[in-house]
Amino acid sequence: MIYLDNAATTQPRRELLDIFQKIEDEFFANVNSNHQAGRDAEKYVNKARKIVLDCLGVEQTHRVVFCSSATEANNLAIKGYALRHSKRGRHIIISNIEHPSVIECAKQLRDLFDFELTILSANHKGVIRPDDVRQALTKNTLLVSIMAVNNEIGSINSIKEIATIIHQHSRAVFHVDASQAIGKVTLPFDEIDMFSISGHKINGLKGSGALVMNKNIELIPLFSGGEQEYGFRSSTISPALAYTLALAIKESLQSEKKNTGSVAALNSLLRSHLSKSENIVLNSPEKGSNYILNVSVIDKKASVIVEALSNQGIMISSVSACHAKAASISYVVRAIGRSEDLARNTLRISFDHQTTIEEVQTFIQVFDEIMERIRS
Amino acid sequence: MIYDRIMVRYGELSTKGRNKMDFVKLLAVNIRKKLTENFSEVKLETRFDHIYVLVADYDPYLIIKELQEVSGINSLTLVSKIEKDIEQIKKCALEMVVNEEASTFKVRSKRSDKTFSIISDEINRIVAKEILSNTKLKVDVKKPELTIGIEVRQEGAYLFLETFKGAGGYPLGIAGKILMMMSGGIDSPVAAYLLMKRGVSLECIHFASPPYTSGGVIDKINDLLKLLAHYQESIRLHVVPFTKLQEAIYDHVDESYAITVMRRMMYRISTDIANIRKCQAIANGESIGQVASQTLRSMRVINEVTNMPVIRPLVTYDKNDIIRIAKQIKTYEISIRPYEDCCTIFRPQNPRTKPNYKSTLWLENQFDFEGLIVEAINSTESIIISANSEEL
Repeated sequence: MIYLDNAATTQPRRELLDIFQKIEDEFFANVNSNHQAGRDAEKYVNKARKIVLDCLGVEQTHRVVFCSSATEANNLAIKGYALRHSKRGRHIIISNIEHPSVIECAKQLRDLFDFELTILSANHKGVIRPDDVRQALTKNTLLVSIMAVNNEIGSINSIKEIATIIHQHSRAVFHVDASQAIGKVTLPFDEIDMFSISGHKINGLKGSGALVMNKNIELIPLFSGGEQEYGFRSSTISPALAYTLALAIKESLQSEKKNTGSVAALNSLLRSHLSKSENIVLNSPEKGSNYILNVSVIDKKASVIVEALSNQGIMISSVSACHAKAASISYVVRAIGRSEDLARNTLRISFDHQTTIEEVQTFIQVFDEIMERIRS
Repeated sequence: MIYDRIMVRYGELSTKGRNKMDFVKLLAVNIRKKLTENFSEVKLETRFDHIYVLVADYDPYLIIKELQEVSGINSLTLVSKIEKDIEQIKKCALEMVVNEEASTFKVRSKRSDKTFSIISDEINRIVAKEILSNTKLKVDVKKPELTIGIEVRQEGAYLFLETFKGAGGYPLGIAGKILMMMSGGIDSPVAAYLLMKRGVSLECIHFASPPYTSGGVIDKINDLLKLLAHYQESIRLHVVPFTKLQEAIYDHVDESYAITVMRRMMYRISTDIANIRKCQAIANGESIGQVASQTLRSMRVINEVTNMPVIRPLVTYDKNDIIRIAKQIKTYEISIRPYEDCCTIFRPQNPRTKPNYKSTLWLENQFDFEGLIVEAINSTESIIISANSEEL
């Protein structure tokens, strides 16, 4: 199998699976229990917290809330903050290319809790103009949530610049969905009030995620219960998931430079090949994440191409949910100004540091054959 | 448990005169097959107008649930057989109603054994009195919530209270075997179900066009057939690789005729496979006018390629009725999973609703479809699916 769908999920590192199993085997006690086994298990959670904050360089300013996914972290950050501080302000700013867990969350606050919502439009490169953020800020703005790297097309936002603007011009807190950014693009973590991390996007385990947040921030929990995780996220924590997540973050940050170089070569090989084809429109901006290349096919059905590749052992994504009737259109590709037809037929090829040049060459060969062969 | 047997009534079988015992024997075989796995200790007593299933130590309600999936059964009644003794009858009748959540009842007795000294009116009165004095139930002879049935026969007294509806139709296999064209949509599983109810055994045929159709469709059909296999022990599915033919149609046939020609190819292949598999007919989920290929004119042009009977159980059904049955047999949720089948790909902008026969023939002769048909049949793979078979 050639796996080129790493923006959907990555293969967990073998070493992390071993560590996960070891902790679950030997330290399965509940970390909240007042006995030695509980305390031993808790050590892994404490170690995990320290590793995360250290390697992100925010040990002085931030704390980490372990949770199940970036979707949960996004929900916790946005709803948790907005509902906690609804008397301080009722205006929220997001962009139109955010992950659904941000967009739907903000819309829910607007529709059910009467918050005012501004949805900023990305430019044709899939980037939010910092100046648009400045203009959208009001005295009433409570929270701004802008993603670091877009999950569909890989466009990168100027998080540092946006953070500065928000903090200079308002009292709003800045939340960043960093799921596709950790270990891939450099972020000014200490300048971001809250950011979401997903374990399985960085060769960690599914079911692990974190919201890293400034120590001064208080939230209303989404789950009430035993008041774990500073009272922000009740539920018995898994030391094994927390610890493997910490190691995944650390590893991905440490090898960021090395990996980015090798992945850049893959991306540019594929990009230059695909850009020659008349039947393809590139959606990913040139200065985007090297890990994601998104294109639209003209006069072909993306779902058929995905299926044909899959039949030959190559896995990539399409936005189209393989359904002729149910129009599933990429809202991100629409947002950068492409036609509905192109937005319906997008392909996303996404790399991992383990992807080899040979795999990309094979992909190119098989892809060209398929484009030649299929009628649709 | 007070109930020791289930009375199985045949329904439509009663109209079948001389062949009746053949039907009953087949039904008994089907009942036995259905119960083998989980209820191996049950015994059957076959009578002329009903079958008794002796429930041994099993929960009779679980057995009834299984038997409701056996075609050819009209109704199922829980029965308690006891001695012909009025004290025993009183005791048993009381036991049957004592935990029922109802407020009214009546007793209906029948004395087939005239040597029994108490006449049926008297039995009614004695049993009713027993119930009246031991429960809060009241008698209502016109619209009782509970009817306690008592039959005194030569071999004993039979008491019964609850009757359950069966699937109806004829015993499976009585009507021979049909090859069912199965797309994975809403209609074909319903059509298959109706045929099985009628006593028809099925094999299924599916046309797969990867990559134009997703590999997920085969999983979906597998899941659908697993549900249908509750009514028939196991189902053989023939998966025909259809891509090359479909591409040839795409390349050679005008878009507006693509569906007509494609359906004709499917019918040709189905006919050949039906013959190989000794099926007596082809069936599908078509309904008049539902889509372009199902107008009468289309059906005629398409049907022309086969001399086999083509059975269309849903031919007059409204979509809503089909959906209602699909929900009832639980295939609906699977059918609506979003995958493209052979009919939804290559969907032309303006398909012919009134295809011309001569044009169809002319278009077909533009390419060597016979070679492609033979190739498709030779590469067809068959799998056997049963209700509890593992994932593919």
